[in-house]
Amino acid sequence: MEPVLKVQALHKHFNVRAGLFRTKQFNAVSDVSFCLGKGETLAVIGETGSGKSTLGKILAGADNSSSGQILLNGQIIEDDGGRVENTKDIRLIFQDPMKSLNPSTPIGSILNEILILNTELDSQARREKINQTLLNVGLLAEHRNYYAHMFSGGQIQRVALARAIILDPKVLVLDEALSSLDPSVRAQTVNLLLRLQRETGLSYILITNHLSLVKHMSDSLLLLHKGEVVEYGETHEVFNSPQTKLAERMLAC
Amino acid sequence: MQLLDIRNLTIELDTGDTVIRAVDRVSISLKEGEVHALVGESGSGKSLIAKALMGVLNARWRITADRMHWRGIDLMRLSNEKRRQLIGNEIAMIYQEPSSCLDPTAKVYNQLIECIPRNNLKGNFLQKRKALKKRAMALLHKVGIKEHAHVFDSYPHELSEGICQKVMIAMAIARSPKLLIADEPTTALESTTRAQIFRLLRSLNQLKSMSILMISHELAELSDWTHGLHVLYCGQMVEAGPTQTLFTKPKHPYTQALLKSLPEYNQSLAHKAPLYALKGTIPTLQHLPIGCRLGPRCPKAQRECVATPLVSDTHGHTYACHFPLNINKEKC
Repeated sequence: MEPVLKVQALHKHFNVRAGLFRTKQFNAVSDVSFCLGKGETLAVIGETGSGKSTLGKILAGADNSSSGQILLNGQIIEDDGGRVENTKDIRLIFQDPMKSLNPSTPIGSILNEILILNTELDSQARREKINQTLLNVGLLAEHRNYYAHMFSGGQIQRVALARAIILDPKVLVLDEALSSLDPSVRAQTVNLLLRLQRETGLSYILITNHLSLVKHMSDSLLLLHKGEVVEYGETHEVFNSPQTKLAERMLAC
Repeated sequence: MQLLDIRNLTIELDTGDTVIRAVDRVSISLKEGEVHALVGESGSGKSLIAKALMGVLNARWRITADRMHWRGIDLMRLSNEKRRQLIGNEIAMIYQEPSSCLDPTAKVYNQLIECIPRNNLKGNFLQKRKALKKRAMALLHKVGIKEHAHVFDSYPHELSEGICQKVMIAMAIARSPKLLIADEPTTALESTTRAQIFRLLRSLNQLKSMSILMISHELAELSDWTHGLHVLYCGQMVEAGPTQTLFTKPKHPYTQALLKSLPEYNQSLAHKAPLYALKGTIPTLQHLPIGCRLGPRCPKAQRECVATPLVSDTHGHTYACHFPLNINKEKC
């Protein structure tokens, strides 16, 4: 089967100051390759500073890579740092939904703006689409007139999800989106994500530190350390027989 | 001997037209050398209880309690001055979000030596300064920071969250307190650092018999090393008791829901199967339901639940529910 997302030899380096005039190269992500099929979930785990979030940003198009290719449905969308298309098909959900939504605009206009910028729909069709997306994530159509602060913790997470899926993406990148939630809200959100995956065949890239969630939700697992891939394979295989010392230590606790 | 004995602690906020009861008659008791945990979702008043105990809540909050004893001394009756002296020496707290609780304008070393007691240092001025530095170094080594020189010379924003957290812990244990209150010490840390901090806290508990009151919303990571659990929901004590009993035989529907929502406690759960979740969300403090505050979300709620359930106690396992689960048939 053709994978939805294919990443080949992705590199990202930053220049950091090493002296008064010299700069040093810092490899945030080096030589990362993986495949993601339709309706599958890839979990990315690693310590802080291992390049997890940088990888997520590059995939969603918020940052450019230094070299390497990203292929979506067999077509190159990023080649050695140059993005070909805009990023309609890979969407990112941030860690803190409260901080990532504009507090001075109603939810409806936030969602509307995305549609104006990315689609050719007229205002009637946009309205339809927003209502349908809000219903899809378990909110009501009336919520379009609400501001971000009027939602509770669980609902605001749903709004963030609505913002991500309104363009019908193929891949969703969840950057620690589940870690800071309360247990009951997290269970609700996980159920919602799993339902969307079942119904629409959405693929997820789950960047997290929460190992039990990784075990429950993901099909394959990518372990990063200092920007390099340490382990990559099916989740249960990696959990049952980790190949490296580092993986053993990370997965044991 | 009871180290800490709090009975019916109520914390209220007067907003002008209404009085919001953020914490409603919570009782906690803690013996020497025990690790207890306060578990609850955000907004359930966990941090408020800890802050009320430390006496750092500002004057807008009204704190009332039948009893708030610390080693036999009633904290409510002490003057502020005396209370501060007592608490400063014997209770320490690790606050939430270390990078924002450390002073951003001072270097870590200067902040750390402020917490070290000076009364047992010997010698003249220079010798004292040397001893102070040695103590600070030993503290950092104890919490697992190896490159002390680098950390001493940094401002908090230059260090990672995990290191800041460890510095906070070092500051808290500098006076070797009798009770350590840890307010969500491991949120935003990755799994290896989290395990390290738990190991550290556990060893402090075992070697120095320091009591610990953990505050957390992650039930899973508390299960194997706490002696007692207190589950809070919206400021009401839902269930309290020894950890093992609570995990195997929860009596309150909310505790059961919390346990069921963890994938690691449902071994039979299929891969990618939906998790158990309570319907609805936590009510805001302005719109709290009357009676049992779980009422509108509770799967077992009946007509009686509009009256606040009384706290029942069996073998040190207390719960507040009209229709408890896992009750032996003979008793009823």
